[in-house]
Amino acid sequence: MRNFFGKTVAVGAIAMLALTACGSGRDGDTDSGSGDSAKGFAANSLIGVALPAKTSENWVLAGDLFTNGLKEAGFTSDVQYAGASTTVADQQAQITAMVTKGAKVIVIGATDAAQLSTQVTAAHAAGAKVIAYDRLITGTPDVDYYVAFDNFKVGQLQGQALLDGMKAKKPTGPYNIELFAGSPDDNNATVFFNGAMDVLKPEIDKGNVVVTSGQKDFKQIAIQGWKAEGAQARMDQLLTSTYGSKELDGVLSPNDTLARAIIQSVKSRNKAVPVVTGQDSEVESVKSIVAGEQYMTINKDTRTLVAQTLTMVKALQAGNAPEVNDTKSYNNGSKVVDTYLLPPVAVTKANAAEAYANDPKLAALTK
Amino acid sequence: MSRFKDLQKNLFGGTTSNARQFGMIFTLVAIVLLFQFLTANNLGVGFGDGLTLRSDNLIALFQQNSYILILAIGMLMVIVAGHIDLSVGSVAAFTGILVAKSMADWSLPWPVAILFGLAIGAVIGAWQGFWVAYVGVPAFIVTLAGMLLWRGANQYVGNADTIPVPKGFQDIGAGFLPEVGPDTGYNNLTLLLGLAACLAVVWRELQARKTRKDMNAEPAPLWVSIFRMAVMVAVLIFVTLRFAGGRVGTSFPISGLILVALVLIYGFYTRNTAGGRHIYAVGGNSRAAELSGVKLKRVNFFVMMNMSILASLAGMIFVARSAASGPQDGLSWELDAIAAVFIGGAAVSGGIGTISGSIVGGLVMAVLNNGLQLLGVGSDRVQIIKGLVLLLAVALDVYNKSQGRFSIIGSLTRPFRRDEPSKPAPTSDTGNEPAKTTVAG
Repeated sequence: MRNFFGKTVAVGAIAMLALTACGSGRDGDTDSGSGDSAKGFAANSLIGVALPAKTSENWVLAGDLFTNGLKEAGFTSDVQYAGASTTVADQQAQITAMVTKGAKVIVIGATDAAQLSTQVTAAHAAGAKVIAYDRLITGTPDVDYYVAFDNFKVGQLQGQALLDGMKAKKPTGPYNIELFAGSPDDNNATVFFNGAMDVLKPEIDKGNVVVTSGQKDFKQIAIQGWKAEGAQARMDQLLTSTYGSKELDGVLSPNDTLARAIIQSVKSRNKAVPVVTGQDSEVESVKSIVAGEQYMTINKDTRTLVAQTLTMVKALQAGNAPEVNDTKSYNNGSKVVDTYLLPPVAVTKANAAEAYANDPKLAALTK
Repeated sequence: MSRFKDLQKNLFGGTTSNARQFGMIFTLVAIVLLFQFLTANNLGVGFGDGLTLRSDNLIALFQQNSYILILAIGMLMVIVAGHIDLSVGSVAAFTGILVAKSMADWSLPWPVAILFGLAIGAVIGAWQGFWVAYVGVPAFIVTLAGMLLWRGANQYVGNADTIPVPKGFQDIGAGFLPEVGPDTGYNNLTLLLGLAACLAVVWRELQARKTRKDMNAEPAPLWVSIFRMAVMVAVLIFVTLRFAGGRVGTSFPISGLILVALVLIYGFYTRNTAGGRHIYAVGGNSRAAELSGVKLKRVNFFVMMNMSILASLAGMIFVARSAASGPQDGLSWELDAIAAVFIGGAAVSGGIGTISGSIVGGLVMAVLNNGLQLLGVGSDRVQIIKGLVLLLAVALDVYNKSQGRFSIIGSLTRPFRRDEPSKPAPTSDTGNEPAKTTVAG
């Protein structure tokens, strides 16, 4: 027994020494954080991409493009989607895991752009560059770059298309319209809406265009979570409350998913389909445009956006400052983020074939 | 066989339920080591350089899961009492938005806002407790209603907005202990905490030996005590150094400290106080408990109210960590908390389960989640794996019961042995956790 006791103590002591030794020292915060991009990093470094839940075709496509693009460029990639039910917490954990794995650049398509500041700050402190993809992360000075389509322009194109479309159907006003906007927790939703109102407001003030229900405030018209059923329910209610006898000429819809839900609602009441705007060039909506139901969509080619993001990542790898074309418009509440804006394209039945010529999936639909 | 039983009894405190709990701890350790190996393998580095046990990852693990583990504490008590609470996520979200708004709109100082949040939790809990305990509506229904009610209230108040919270408040979810004292290369306060934990372990072991000696019972052999202490102290030292040795400015997270404090308080309450044992009595057999003088309604009211208070705390910690309260806060948290409790060995029918078991159960899920994410497994597959683990963990428990192996119920119904019990069991002690009363193995 004595012998055993002695052995146990010895083993315990050795184990403790070994454990103490392996926990030596801590990483200073000097080598990173300050993060001047002059150095660049190894060509096979890990690049993390955190995307929202797979609720739209665009995110799935973006994920595939990132996976392939990063692989082709020789990087190690980690592309993650947030889970369907616990989106924010999932994305937070995924970003933290990417930091732990030592990702050099983390591209984030935020689920809730205001709830990631802690993780972004940690990523920056660990020496990773953070690129906000499509949605600007707010409330932290540690977002390095923002890459997106010009969303104010998207709104303007939607507003203009709505006016053009209604004029084409009925030469003179006044036109009855309804307004829809995206999710209030998505920074872009407000930008789309403001862009559209930039065009529509003068016409509304002139009395040429009438929002019949009177619901013009962003909070009244926003659809939580960009949910199709939310838009459909709101349209149902509007038809019941406002359009018993009146004609509905046009609906401003911020994206294709909501546009189709709105059209679905109108069709279920046996009403004539009004001019409905959209965005994202989703397959079903392109079909709908070609068939003459939905009036327009916006082509924000995910390929171009991903390609631009990859260009930025490569520039960072080489140690250069990535190209940006807007250094004053995008204030996230903590700083003005350097931004690369890509131009969106409005697509109607008239120019569909031309607009989707580069997209194998959509081009087939326009023939 | 009997030699093995003796060894098991000596090492783990002798009861089958303790053995089961240690089984869970072994599972946890095994999963941690597995992911340590897999992440190291993935990167092509040595075992010691795996990602799972790295300082920043351990810190992140606690920060990411402290709110779920806090919910699991309350949920354990609810489930032991024979109920369930589906409303915790919604309660957390509703409290979160009110607290964020109170600071943004009424410029309430953040410490006051935290008290305000706890008060909201208490009020909501009293409401739900009232329906469960005094009206007799099943908790499943009351909290299902609560799930809708408080989620709706969250959307109504918040207008589905994301509302940022001030820096001071963020510390309860994302904060660390300050750096004080000489530069030791570690976070000194974390080192002190670790030292305190080591001393507590040694003190508890010595105390237990003394108690047995005082009662003229034969204490466990000295080498067993030493071995047990050595293992626990070694683990504590390792963990302490990991938490203390992260990036400068990081330490054992504050949310983790809150969690540890709650585990100690509630652990003591459920194990060593009459009020805590009453919960087990009610869950085990509510009629018998009532006849023995347990105030049934009061116990039910308490567990439901307590759950909502803890849910409001969890909500605030999440909001603090996210730096903002958002419309999607709290979604499906109830399921994570319930899963943790059942993986931790609680019985669906009530009366059985421990706080520490639930925490270990929650950590198993957390490490699984974290490890899979470090390996780059997508969230879709992570969900599938977690679902299967939940099912298997509980199925194993059920199987063991039917075979009479590590059976909790079986061990309780078997006759007590001669050298038993070290202290007469209180009448209300129908719960499993026979921490004091050693059951024949």
